[in-house]
Amino acid sequence: MSGDEDYKRMFHQALRIRLVEERIIDLYPSDRIQSPVHLSIGQEGAAVGVCNGLRDTDLLFGSYRGHAYYLAKGGDLKSFFAELFGRATGMAGGKAGSMHLAAPDVGFQGCSAVVASSIPHAVGAALAARRLGKDQRIVAVFGDGATEEGVFHESLNFAALHDLPVVFVCENNGYAVHAALSARQAYSISKLPAVYGIPYTRIEEGADFVAVDKEFTTAVADTTGPKFIEIMTYRSKEHVGVADDFHAGYRTDVEFRDWQAKDPLVQDTALVEEYQPAIEGEISEAVNFAETSPLPAPEDLLADVI
Amino acid sequence: MTDNPSPSEPLSYAGALLETMRGALASNPHSIIMGQGVDDFKGTFGTTLGLADEFGAERVMDMPLAEEGMTGIALGATLNGLYPITTHIRADFAFLATNQIINLIAKYKYMFGGLFEVPMLIRAVVGRSWGQGAQHSQSPQSQFAHVPGLTVIMPADSQSILDMYPYIVENYRGPVISIEHRLLYDLEFNVERGDPNRLENPLTSRLIREGSDVTIVATSIMVLEARRAAEHLAKTASIECEIIDLNSPSHPDADLILSSVRKTGRLVVADTSWRPYGVAAEICRMVCENDPSALQAPAVSLGMAPAPCPTAKSLEDAYYPNLTDLTDGIARLVVGREQHGVPLADETSMRDVYKSFKGPF
Repeated sequence: MSGDEDYKRMFHQALRIRLVEERIIDLYPSDRIQSPVHLSIGQEGAAVGVCNGLRDTDLLFGSYRGHAYYLAKGGDLKSFFAELFGRATGMAGGKAGSMHLAAPDVGFQGCSAVVASSIPHAVGAALAARRLGKDQRIVAVFGDGATEEGVFHESLNFAALHDLPVVFVCENNGYAVHAALSARQAYSISKLPAVYGIPYTRIEEGADFVAVDKEFTTAVADTTGPKFIEIMTYRSKEHVGVADDFHAGYRTDVEFRDWQAKDPLVQDTALVEEYQPAIEGEISEAVNFAETSPLPAPEDLLADVI
Repeated sequence: MTDNPSPSEPLSYAGALLETMRGALASNPHSIIMGQGVDDFKGTFGTTLGLADEFGAERVMDMPLAEEGMTGIALGATLNGLYPITTHIRADFAFLATNQIINLIAKYKYMFGGLFEVPMLIRAVVGRSWGQGAQHSQSPQSQFAHVPGLTVIMPADSQSILDMYPYIVENYRGPVISIEHRLLYDLEFNVERGDPNRLENPLTSRLIREGSDVTIVATSIMVLEARRAAEHLAKTASIECEIIDLNSPSHPDADLILSSVRKTGRLVVADTSWRPYGVAAEICRMVCENDPSALQAPAVSLGMAPAPCPTAKSLEDAYYPNLTDLTDGIARLVVGREQHGVPLADETSMRDVYKSFKGPF
């Protein structure tokens, strides 16, 4: 039955993302990945659910926490690991690292490490899509902290003013770096879209990729203007790096355990057992590809500047 | 180009801008112009006037007061197939867009290993005189030219605009920041239309006048000042100035500059901004690193006084280098002593130009 098939397919994607990042955690102490990593562990369901209905021609703009979207959108795994390893075969030839992933062949249009800075790019891409008559969905993905930046508001205003077909996806994991949102935001994110007249949808269960896919698809069914979707999610690792940080005092592992209780990748052990061996094999192959790939050539240093 | 015998006609700087903006919209159906007031009755000081009516509001878009947002929108638009031209009616406002310009646009090709190109044109207008003050007068060429990935140009006359803008819009695959000068807008220059492809690379320095005694490397309105100084010194003291319009602070023609300095042995740099870490410093670095023995005397540089721009006319007159300062600096350098005996230029000649400029813009 198709519902079950959808669940399994998305489960596989989400598990693949998690296992990729767990491999990064394993590799990190070896220093073979010399790049700051912002892991998505805990947030895979949002990426998989959002990307499930997107085509390669639909464009998505991401942030420095971009591994999950890169993979969910269809980015190549070998060139992903090669990029993290700083190899010539990386998706950007070793110039992007973890924070600037892109895969334009599948509509993944780049990630910025400056919070909120890629949001207007989605708005501009939507302007172009309408002007050029392209049948495309344009999606901006950003975190809750990005709503504090001025350019977030500038982007919403312009998209609403011109009724541009852009989808703003806010992943709310409750923390901007190490601060709870209540300590940073005098507003409620849920009330901001209405200020600009943009329809708002809150997806409560971010780990449930089937629910995310369904609610996202419903929310964006009308393609005539901007949409705002807030997905409640949870980041299990530290803001940057591969460690747990529950000892740091800004959050407790109680909420982590609550989240795990809702996480299909934790709960559905039967499917994990079924899929894990093949995925681990694929990951090992990609890591091996990265390790055996050449370093960038010295002349690459000054290539593609202008 | 003074020595070219081909027929020429007068065209104002603003007229050249309007002509090339219309040309950009007419030649490329994917081009759009975005900026504050581009569709209003003043039309960016006349340079976008009537274009919204002619090409439609969707291609000539007034923008909210959101410089970073506008510039990020332009980047997203070019990534998805449009050619955006953004405008800042004062270059100072472009500083609000520096996150997008420096962190994103300058790096979008390199950072992703060449997966993307982001062709676009950013126009920023420098203000001067009639009380522009500290935040309507800055000339940001050194800030932007410092950053790899950006091409920065400073058209000094109408010909430069005709040579560069169509080339940029039609042929250039990278982001360009053009720093225009408001005081040049109403001035007329002789232009030659000829073959638009006659220059192999229009986005670099130009030889404006040949001379044997001193090399003047100038930017923007200082090129005009240098022309006036050269005419005065040739007439009154038989000093022959060679003038190079830097034209592209990010991509100067080093060979042209170095060979000129080798010939004349003397260097004057006249820029529209501050001297430290700016165009003057960069040209001196170029000479020092490549051929320090080419200089027979210490280099001379002119720029804005090292302060924010004041509004009072009396202070502003002292703030900018004028024709007197320029002719005095050149004469001291060429004659080799403070008391050079060369009559200084009548500075009212340039003041007359500035006087014809009436505010508020």
